[in-house]
Amino acid sequence: MTSSPTQALAVAAQAVAASKIYGSGDTEVRALDAIDVGFEQGRFTAIMGPSGSGKSTLMHCMAGLDSVTSGQVIIGDTDLTTLSEKDLTLLRRDNVGFVFQAYNLVPTLTAIENITLPMDLAGSKGDTAWVDEVVGATGLTDRVKHRPNELSGGQQQRVAVARALAGKPQIIFADEPTGNVDSNTAAEILGFMRSAVDQMGQTIVMVTHDPVAASYADRVVFLVDGKIVDELADPTPQGIRDHMTQLGA
Amino acid sequence: MLRLALKSLLAHKLRFAFTALAIVLGVAFVVSAFVTADSLRSTFDDLAADINTGTDFTVRGALPFGDITQANPPPVDDSLLDDIRAVAGVQSAEGGFFVDGVIPVDGSGESPTTLGGPRAGTNWTADPTLSQYFLIDGEWPQGPAQFAVDVVTFADYDFELGRDYQVVTPIGPRTFTLTGTMQFGFPENAGIGAVFSVFDTPTAQQVLGLEGKFNQIAVRAEPAADIPQVQDRITAVLPAGTEVITSEEAAEEFGDAFESFIGPFQTILLVFAFIVLFVSAFIISNTFNIVLGQRVRELSLLRALGATPRQVRRTVLIESLVIGATAAAAGIGLGMLGALGLEALLSAFGASLPDGPLPLRARTVAWAFAVGVGFTVVASLVPAAKASRISPVAGLGEQSGDDGGHGRLWRVIAGAGLAAAGLILIGRGLFADFDSTTAQLLSLGIGAAVVFVAVAVLSPLIAGPTVAALARPLPWILRTPGRLARDNAARSPRRTAATAVALTIGLALVAMVLVVGQSLKDTFSESLSDAVAADYVISTDTFSGVPETLAADLRSAGAAAAVPLDEYPAQVLSPVAPGRIDDAELTVTDLDAIDEVANLGVIDGNLDGLDPMSALLVASDTADDWGLEVGDEVSVNLTSGETLVVTVGAVFAQTRPPFWDEWIIDESLHRQTAGADRFDQWVAVNVDGDDPQASRALLDEVLSAYPQATLEDRQEFQASLESNLNTLLALVNVFLLFALVVALVGIVNTLTLSVFERTHEIGLLRAVGMTRRQLRRSIRWEAAAISLYGALVGVVLGLGFGVALSVAIPDDAIDRVSVPSGQIIGLVVVAVAFGLLAAVFPSYRAGRLNVLEAIAAD
Repeated sequence: MTSSPTQALAVAAQAVAASKIYGSGDTEVRALDAIDVGFEQGRFTAIMGPSGSGKSTLMHCMAGLDSVTSGQVIIGDTDLTTLSEKDLTLLRRDNVGFVFQAYNLVPTLTAIENITLPMDLAGSKGDTAWVDEVVGATGLTDRVKHRPNELSGGQQQRVAVARALAGKPQIIFADEPTGNVDSNTAAEILGFMRSAVDQMGQTIVMVTHDPVAASYADRVVFLVDGKIVDELADPTPQGIRDHMTQLGA
Repeated sequence: MLRLALKSLLAHKLRFAFTALAIVLGVAFVVSAFVTADSLRSTFDDLAADINTGTDFTVRGALPFGDITQANPPPVDDSLLDDIRAVAGVQSAEGGFFVDGVIPVDGSGESPTTLGGPRAGTNWTADPTLSQYFLIDGEWPQGPAQFAVDVVTFADYDFELGRDYQVVTPIGPRTFTLTGTMQFGFPENAGIGAVFSVFDTPTAQQVLGLEGKFNQIAVRAEPAADIPQVQDRITAVLPAGTEVITSEEAAEEFGDAFESFIGPFQTILLVFAFIVLFVSAFIISNTFNIVLGQRVRELSLLRALGATPRQVRRTVLIESLVIGATAAAAGIGLGMLGALGLEALLSAFGASLPDGPLPLRARTVAWAFAVGVGFTVVASLVPAAKASRISPVAGLGEQSGDDGGHGRLWRVIAGAGLAAAGLILIGRGLFADFDSTTAQLLSLGIGAAVVFVAVAVLSPLIAGPTVAALARPLPWILRTPGRLARDNAARSPRRTAATAVALTIGLALVAMVLVVGQSLKDTFSESLSDAVAADYVISTDTFSGVPETLAADLRSAGAAAAVPLDEYPAQVLSPVAPGRIDDAELTVTDLDAIDEVANLGVIDGNLDGLDPMSALLVASDTADDWGLEVGDEVSVNLTSGETLVVTVGAVFAQTRPPFWDEWIIDESLHRQTAGADRFDQWVAVNVDGDDPQASRALLDEVLSAYPQATLEDRQEFQASLESNLNTLLALVNVFLLFALVVALVGIVNTLTLSVFERTHEIGLLRAVGMTRRQLRRSIRWEAAAISLYGALVGVVLGLGFGVALSVAIPDDAIDRVSVPSGQIIGLVVVAVAFGLLAAVFPSYRAGRLNVLEAIAAD
C-alpha cells in the first residue's frame, strides 16, 4: 500500500531535512536522520515506530521542546530553529497544544484553571465562548471546579486535551496520551481527540505504539532508526499490525 | 546500614551541604565565643604574670565589705613603707599610685583617648622591677613640675621631650615639663589600651590628691626567704584596715576581676550561639522530613527487601550523625575565622590581643562536636521514627508530599500542653523570686524555647489557610505565577510551617528587643525630663569621673549652679530596722544646691537648713520599707572602713538612676573620709542670663581645661544616652541577624527540595508556555508568602514577649510599654525581602531545568 499525497491540504507543521544527532564519532547516535515530513491542517496523524526509532524525539523537535541538530522545523510560517528559548516558550504557549502520557495537570489548579493555563500565562482572556464549547465537549462541565486528584485518569486526560484545544493552537502534539490508561478510557480519550479534529478542525499529531490508538488517526507515519520508512492512510488496527510486522518492529 | 547512609549522603551532596550549613553557623558561633574569650584570658594571664614579676607581696587597704571588682581599696599611710622595709626578709618595697582620670593634653590641644582602658596617674620608683615601669627615652621626672608619658601615647600624639604640657589631675589642670617616655611591663604589653602619666612620688601624692598616702606598697622578699613567714611578719607590723596579699593572690584577684567581664562576654556569645543552633534544629528536622517524603519509595524498597524498621531508623540517625559531625568540623574552621574577625574588631576598638595562634582548647572542640552532633541528632529523631514506620508497600505508586491533617488532635493537645508549659516557665521567670539572675534567665530562656516548639507544633494547623489568605493579593498582581505561588505556599502546611518557624524565632527575638528597647528609652527620657532641671549636664566616659575642681571652676566662672553627683559603694544600717543591711550605692552631692538642678520631689522634711555634716536623704520606697522617718538615725559603712552616723533629713519621691539612688549625703561630709576620691561622676549646671550662646561659651571656656568632660544641654544629653542605647540594641540585633541568616538557609533548603519534588510539574508548566521569568517569579513569591507568614507569627510572639518583659521589669527601669510600630513594620518588610533573596538560588535552578527531562521525571 502506498501513501496518498496530500498536497491539497495546507501544512500546519513540517520538518525539512531535520536531523538530531547525539554524541559524536563512534558513539554518534542519529535519533533523527534527515527527516522530511509535513502534518496537514485539520488532520489527525499518528507517529509509530519501535522503541528508539526517534518518534518521541521527532515530536519533541516539532513541538519546540527540543532542538534539531540540522535542518528546519516549521510551524505555520515560523522556523523554530531561528527562535530564542524565550520565543520558543511563547510559541509553545500560543501556537502549540500538548497532551502528555500522565500527570498532565498542575495539581494545585482546578480543571478549568488547568484548561485556561496557557491563556492565563499569556495574560489573555482567550475566547471564552470557545473555552465553554471545549469544556462542553469534554463532558466535564459539572466537574470543572474539581482538582485533578478528584478526577479519574480518563477525565484528567480529557481535561489535558481540552487545555490543548482551548487556545486554538495551530497544532496539538500528544505523546502516548493513552499509554497509562485502560482500553475503555483510551477509547474515551481517543474519541474525544477524533471529534476535535472532525468537528473543530484541529490538527493533532500523536505518538503511540498502540495500533488501536493509531487507528483513530487519518494517517500513520512509521519511523525506524530516525527515518520515515512508510506511511498509511485511513488505517485500521489490523492494517497497522500487518505493516509493523513487515517493518520487523 | 552505615554504608547505605553514607552513600545516600554522597548522592545528594548539595542537600547535605545545605542541611549542614545551618548547624555549621551555630557551631561556628560557639567556637568563636570560646576561642575569643580564651584568647582574651591568655592576654590577661600574661599581663597578670608581668605585673607580678619581681613583686612578692602587695600591701594595701582592706575592703571591709564588697570585693575588689566593685570598689577600690582605700589608700594606706606612706609612713608604713619604712616599717615594711624594716621587716626581716624584705629585700625591697616601694609605694605606688594608680589613679584613673589623669589626662595629658598634647601640643595640639588633643588628649589621648582609650576605649575603656584607664588614663592613669602614677609614680616611678627607684626599683623598677616592683612597678614594671621602664624608662625608654629621656629622664624620669624629678620634682613638682615634671612628668613622663608612655611610649605609645608619645608616638600617637603630638608630644616632644623637654616641652611643657598641661595634665588634668584630680586637683585640676597643671602644667608639667615632659622629661621622658616609659612603658609598662614587657614590650608585648606596652599597649594594653592605657595612657600613663608618671610623676615622682611626692609630686604624685600631691597632684593625685593623696598627700601622705600610697594606693599600695609593692614588696619583694629576699631571694631565699620563706614567703609565708615574711607575709606573717609584714602582717604583724600592719595597722588595722590594711592587708598584705601574695603575688599569687593578686594574680588570682586580677583574673577574677577580668573574668567578671570576660565571663559575661562569653556567655552572651554562647546565648546567641544557642539561639542559632535552636533555629538550625528546626531547619534540619524539616529538611529530614521533606527528604524522607521524597525517599518513601527507596525506604519502602529497603523494607520490602528485608530491612527492619530499626535498621531504617538507624540509617536515618547515622546520616544525621555524619551531618552533625561534618558540620561541627566545618563549624570549628569557620569559628576560628569568626574569632579572627572578632579579634580584629576588638583591636579596632583598642584592645590588643596576643599575636600567634588562637587558642583552640580541647573543651572548645568537645563543645563544638557535642552541640553540632547533639542538635542534629535530636532534630532527626522524629523524622527517623517516621521513616521506620514506612511500610514495605508504601512506595508503590505513592505521590510524595505531605498534609497538615494527620494527627490533628495530637497536634492540638501536644501544642497546647507545650505552650502552657512554656508560658508557665516564662511567667515564673518574670514574676517569681530567684536566688540568682542565671536561674531566672534560664527559666525565661527555656520557657521561650518551649513556646517556640509549641508554635512549631501548632503552626501547621493554621499555616495553610493563613498563608493562602496572606497571599491573596498575589494572583491579582502577578496573575498565574502569583496564583501558583500562593497555592504552592499553602500546599503543604506542615512544610510551610516548619520553614517559617525558623524565621518566626529570629523575628520574635528581634521584635522583643525592639519593644523592650523602646519602652526603656521612653521611660528613661521621661524620667530624665522629670528628674533633671539643670540647663546642662556634664558627663565623662572615664570611670573615675571629672575632677572635683570642675564644679568650683564653673561656679567661679559665673555659673548659677554647678552641682556634682557621685556614687560610692556603701552598707547602710539603722537601729530603726534592726538586722537590715543594704548593700547600696551612696549618692554624694551638694545638698544645699541639689534643688536647683534636680526635681527630687521632697515628700517629708525640708532641704532648707539641713546640716550637711549629718543629714541623709532617703527615697520614699526605701523609707517605707525600713520604717524610717525624718529624724531617725542611720549608719553608713564606707569601703574605707569608716562609719558615718547620720540622721534622716528628708524623704524624696523616687530614685533616678544613673543620677541618684536611694541614699543621698552631702559632699562635704564625704570628703572628710579616707575613701573619698577627688572626682565627680556628673555635674549638673545652671546658667543665668537670657543669652544661651554666651552662657554656653562661658561653660566651654572652663571645660576646655577638662578634656574628659562632655558638656551637653538636656536635649543633647538625652540624645546621646539614647544613641548609646540604640548602639547596644543594634548590636544585639546584629547578632540575632545570624538567626535570620540561618532561617534564610532554611528557606533556600525547603524551596530547593520543593522544586526538586515538583520537577515534573515545572516541566509541564514550561511545556505549555510558562516563561522562565514567570516560573522564577512564582517561586520567589512563594518564598515571600512563607516568609510573611513566619514574620507575622514571629512579630506577634515577639510583641507578646516584649510586652510581658516590659511589664515585668521594675518600674524604675521600665514603667510603660512602647511599641516602635515603624520598626516592627520594617522588620516584616525585611523578612519578606529575606524570603525573596532565599528564592534566588532555587528559582534559578528551577528555570534551568530541562523541560523534556523534567516532564519525564515522576
